[in-house]
Amino acid sequence: MRSIVVLLRKDARVLARSPLLLTALVVYPLLIAVLVGLVVRYAGERPRVALVDEGGLPGVLVIGDRSFHLQERFEQAKEVELVRMPAGQANDELRTGEVLAALVVPDDFASELRGLRESPRIVLRTTKGGLGTRVVEKVRSLVYTVNLELQQAYIDANLAALELVLRGGSGTIGETRFSLLGLRNAERELLRLEASGNPAVRTRAKQLRQFVQDLRGAVEQVGDFLRATANPVQLVTESRSGRTWILSAQAQAYALALALAFVTILLGAAAITSEREEHVLGRLVRGLVSLRALLAEKVVLVTLVGALLGLLLAVVFGLIVEVGGVSGGQPWSRLPLLALGLALAGLSFGAFGVLLGTLAREAGTATLIAFLLALPVTLIGLVPESVTWSWLAGLSPFGHAVRLFTSALYDAHPARSVVAEGAWLLGLGTTFVAGARLGARRLVE
Amino acid sequence: MGAARAGEGDRPAAPQAAGETRVLLQGRRLVRRFGSHTALALVDVEVRAGEVVALVGPNGAGKSTLLAILAGALRPSEGSVVAGDPRPRVGWVPQRPAQYGHLTPRENVELFARLEGMSGPAAQAERILREVGLEAEARRASQLSVGNQQRLNLAIGLLGDPDVLLLDEPTASLDPKGRRRLWELVAQARRNAGGIVFATHDLAEARRVADRLLVLLDGRITFAGAPAEEDGRLAEVFE
Repeated sequence: MRSIVVLLRKDARVLARSPLLLTALVVYPLLIAVLVGLVVRYAGERPRVALVDEGGLPGVLVIGDRSFHLQERFEQAKEVELVRMPAGQANDELRTGEVLAALVVPDDFASELRGLRESPRIVLRTTKGGLGTRVVEKVRSLVYTVNLELQQAYIDANLAALELVLRGGSGTIGETRFSLLGLRNAERELLRLEASGNPAVRTRAKQLRQFVQDLRGAVEQVGDFLRATANPVQLVTESRSGRTWILSAQAQAYALALALAFVTILLGAAAITSEREEHVLGRLVRGLVSLRALLAEKVVLVTLVGALLGLLLAVVFGLIVEVGGVSGGQPWSRLPLLALGLALAGLSFGAFGVLLGTLAREAGTATLIAFLLALPVTLIGLVPESVTWSWLAGLSPFGHAVRLFTSALYDAHPARSVVAEGAWLLGLGTTFVAGARLGARRLVE
Repeated sequence: MGAARAGEGDRPAAPQAAGETRVLLQGRRLVRRFGSHTALALVDVEVRAGEVVALVGPNGAGKSTLLAILAGALRPSEGSVVAGDPRPRVGWVPQRPAQYGHLTPRENVELFARLEGMSGPAAQAERILREVGLEAEARRASQLSVGNQQRLNLAIGLLGDPDVLLLDEPTASLDPKGRRRLWELVAQARRNAGGIVFATHDLAEARRVADRLLVLLDGRITFAGAPAEEDGRLAEVFE
């Protein structure tokens, strides 16, 4: 124990004398966290999709008194980046992956749309693979939006026709103009007929006026029915003064886990191999410090550094949240629980770094391998449960760390999750240390 | 701490007290393999009290490997190292300076004194640094000259006044003053009934300083005896 403390003090002193390294340890993971966050958020935001117009996409579509610039609407879609190209080129680019899908507008699209005897069709061709689903969702969203706009126009046109039926006047269907008396005018005419001296006419007029009155009442409600049936469930988007994505609980948990993963994996690998680089391992293992104690000291070092760095990040994050007056604020009272989680995650990641160091032996190689593996280790931890090989995610400390941080900071009852994920991190860390112990003798020889 | 006596060149003074020839450390049938390469093949070696042994051989002969095994820094593939009774304190000065570059000489020596569990590590460091002439050096070890790094390496090896001192090419990067100081320290250790083994590929230095020569070639001992017993044929091997 004494030797571990002595070496810890030495390593702390060495770290303190390397301001560039310290700065890099803080800035680099933050930068990575922000960049990966942005990539995750915006990756595939506007997938590139080929637009193959076989002649059916109308430039302007007039519905009632409204005009739709459909070509422009598609080409300027926010959901996907639609690039107009011939069918052959679209097939080539789809095959090579330059476009993720091809949206084909058949030549009868416009006539079907104007006639509306049946719904016109557009065809989306995609490839198999992870991004195909995302493209389908994006194009569905685009078609849904266009459908909604067209639907509204058709409803408006239908409502105008109903209004004509109610009030009377002149209108057109296609190119045919016509005049209508209108239900209200018909009602008034029938009221006059009720004053007729002929009792038969009077009785018949009264019956007809009653019918027209009922019909008018029904037609007056058709508009509401039309609107309601067009949107049985209406989504209303309200913008409130909540947290922006960058200040969300999720972002904080991911940033902490990502920063911790990079710092502790790299530091763990570098710390153990630096002893070899300084040629002091021989001196240490000849009775001064056992290899087990040396490994333990390195794991404790990266655990402490990771926990301190994580707490620093959490405090900075919290200050930004407080200064920004973000609703909910930072859960300061949860910091001790978070510190425990940070230490467990630091231990797990750090032990992995130490394992890499013992396998690589050379500091340069170890650092490079640690750098190369840090990102895959984090990404493996993000594999969703729906994926067949999601069990792999359980072997990476990253997913466990994210869940633990989220739970420690924001769950109303975090105990169960913290214990479960903490046990995972501890178990993984112990396994990595055991692996490192097996390979540690190679460092000396 | 006395200087080497005139007439004996650099050879440290031999101890006069009785019982000095007890064996402090013994390597028995030592074999060390690195993969398919055999660095040491069935080497027997003894370190006796009050004796200076020169381990002589060209580069790659196995000298450093043998010293590292005797120091306990490396495990033999076969054979064993047996310590005398009472167990001697062993100081090891490896060929490449083994110290922390970010720490000053004082911090380095204090650190190893603490790891050794010595009382008063600061005082120990002060004393040992004075002995190697680094007491005023405040720069980090990595900023020192190669010679001063070797002095620091020696200082760490001398911590705790070891009974057995294992020196791996200790004079390789020392200036004449540093060499003289080194042999003074070796002489003092010898007078204190310590056993010294030093590796060198400088046969002249070995003849001048050692009581006994051990010549290693390709991991095997090809000659063991006093310098006077060596008939000069070794010079042909090294020259």
